[in-house]
Amino acid sequence: MSVFGSEADNTALLPTGLHDVLPPAAAQEAEVIQRLVDTFGQFGYERVKPPLVEFETTLLGGSQSGLADHIFRVMDPVSQRMMGLRADMTLQVARIAATRLARAPRPLRLSYAGQVLRVSGSQLRPERQFAQAGVELVGAASVGGDIEMVQLAVAALQAVGIADASVDLTSPAIVASVLDELALPADVARRLRTALDRKDAAAVGALAGPAAPRLHALIAAAGPAEAAFAKFDTIQLPPAATAEIDRLRAVATALTAVDPRQRVTIDAVEYRGFEYQTGVSFTLFARGVRGELGRGGRYIANAGEPATGLTLFLDSLMRAVPPPRPAKRLFLPYGTPPATAAAMRQQGWITVAGLEPGGEVSAQAAHHICTHLYRNGAPEPV
Amino acid sequence: MAKDDALVLALPKGRILGQLMPLLRAAGIEPEPAFDDPDNRQLRFGTNLTGLELIRVRSFDVATFVGFGAAHLGVCGSDVVMEFDYPELYAPVDLGIGRCRLVVAEPRALVAVDDPSRWSHVRVATKYPNLTRKHFAARGVQAECVHLNGAIELAPTLGLCRRIVDLVETGSTLRANGLVEIETICEVSSRLVVNRAALKTRASELTAWLDRVRKGVRDRSDAA
Repeated sequence: MSVFGSEADNTALLPTGLHDVLPPAAAQEAEVIQRLVDTFGQFGYERVKPPLVEFETTLLGGSQSGLADHIFRVMDPVSQRMMGLRADMTLQVARIAATRLARAPRPLRLSYAGQVLRVSGSQLRPERQFAQAGVELVGAASVGGDIEMVQLAVAALQAVGIADASVDLTSPAIVASVLDELALPADVARRLRTALDRKDAAAVGALAGPAAPRLHALIAAAGPAEAAFAKFDTIQLPPAATAEIDRLRAVATALTAVDPRQRVTIDAVEYRGFEYQTGVSFTLFARGVRGELGRGGRYIANAGEPATGLTLFLDSLMRAVPPPRPAKRLFLPYGTPPATAAAMRQQGWITVAGLEPGGEVSAQAAHHICTHLYRNGAPEPV
Repeated sequence: MAKDDALVLALPKGRILGQLMPLLRAAGIEPEPAFDDPDNRQLRFGTNLTGLELIRVRSFDVATFVGFGAAHLGVCGSDVVMEFDYPELYAPVDLGIGRCRLVVAEPRALVAVDDPSRWSHVRVATKYPNLTRKHFAARGVQAECVHLNGAIELAPTLGLCRRIVDLVETGSTLRANGLVEIETICEVSSRLVVNRAALKTRASELTAWLDRVRKGVRDRSDAA
């Protein structure tokens, strides 16, 4: 036992990475999620609601995804099978598209929002529980789908007041095609992939042999879209990579066509979290905000269907939204008729009723953190 | 430009600064005079450029400041980058200075009787517990690390543990303490590091700095 006493006796202490969200943050987060889902709906994405827990095998979607390390597992006493708590909703929605909605017309547009739980946090995301909101577009192979996804991402962020988001575009297929040409042993290729992802120029030089100058050029090309495309033109790349770059260019052009001030960067060597992405992918950032607001990209869904998606992470996103405007709260002194209270709420007031007589009313109003007080038949500022 | 908007470059305290300053000056960065005054207690320094500030912290802390985005750019050794392995830290430029290597060493007397291929567990004193653990795990050996912040060479002579993992430049400190290098873990040099989110959201400013430093490194190696 240390001088601090036993942690087990402390009723306020929560496990690492889990928090209580208090007023006004809890209400604000709920409102932000609603606005995101509304924006998805406006673009034609219909909401689905997968369960919190499902069989481990279906939760992981058969993919070798890194998610397996993140899920809490419980034994289902009924089926005697292992179940997992979802650590990411994307694969659940892909499962719905491939099974119950297999016969729904394509392209299929689905949206979702909900809480996820992870065994451990990371440097940037110490939270073990947080909310996700996103969409999946299943059965659309064309660049039109890629464009819709980034445009929707930017629109959703704007809908919650984040106007200065920057979109970082990549395609894992670019580096993959360069590495294919090299025909490296699997473990060297894997280390090279990590070194590229970290933009570790020295390690890339040591691992890539004759391809090092080209890969260094790809690292150095990362940056604002226009300059990046100009640099790509000077690097000799396999045809598959050039095709991907053309596709990125189309997406970047479409984004700046909507808003010429939209910040777009290109980074061909980005890889983290895109291990299963097969084409145009993106990460969303906001200036001054630690970590990613969201990400998305093209992948091959369960039944081999081309798909793309978008996920927003509410923990980092909430750090980027403007603070909520303080609510206007109206104190109704004890004895205010219920009809008056109802009328004030009808007008949009938040009403806080005095539950017992006595005391100075303006002091009571202040005690209840009210901005206004109902006096002489009208609200007056406290 | 508002002060809050300035880019922050984190530099490591200590002898590496002597090799680093010519590179920074070549890139057009001139710190305010207080930076070169050893008695000055200031922690943040201005430069000749309004949009650029310097901070001077321990080499290990450079990685942490940049990894969490508190500083946008920094300079630290590849040993530090590997030890923390922060996913949000990019190391796009090898500055080619501060060269040394990270090694496993043990007392001369032990070398004669030791067969590293038979180890299943080692106890190691080091400043680099994560790196050490991963290095040994990759060859199937469990490393129990005793975390020290300096004077690692003392550990074997005083019986804290028999082996150490430490940086070696010439090897004279090891020799003076009766220790012998038995394995090189990696070569080390200083890196220009940059925070990932900063590189994405302030792309034009930061890529311009990276290009400038790259050019400085290239010019210097051309001249050599």
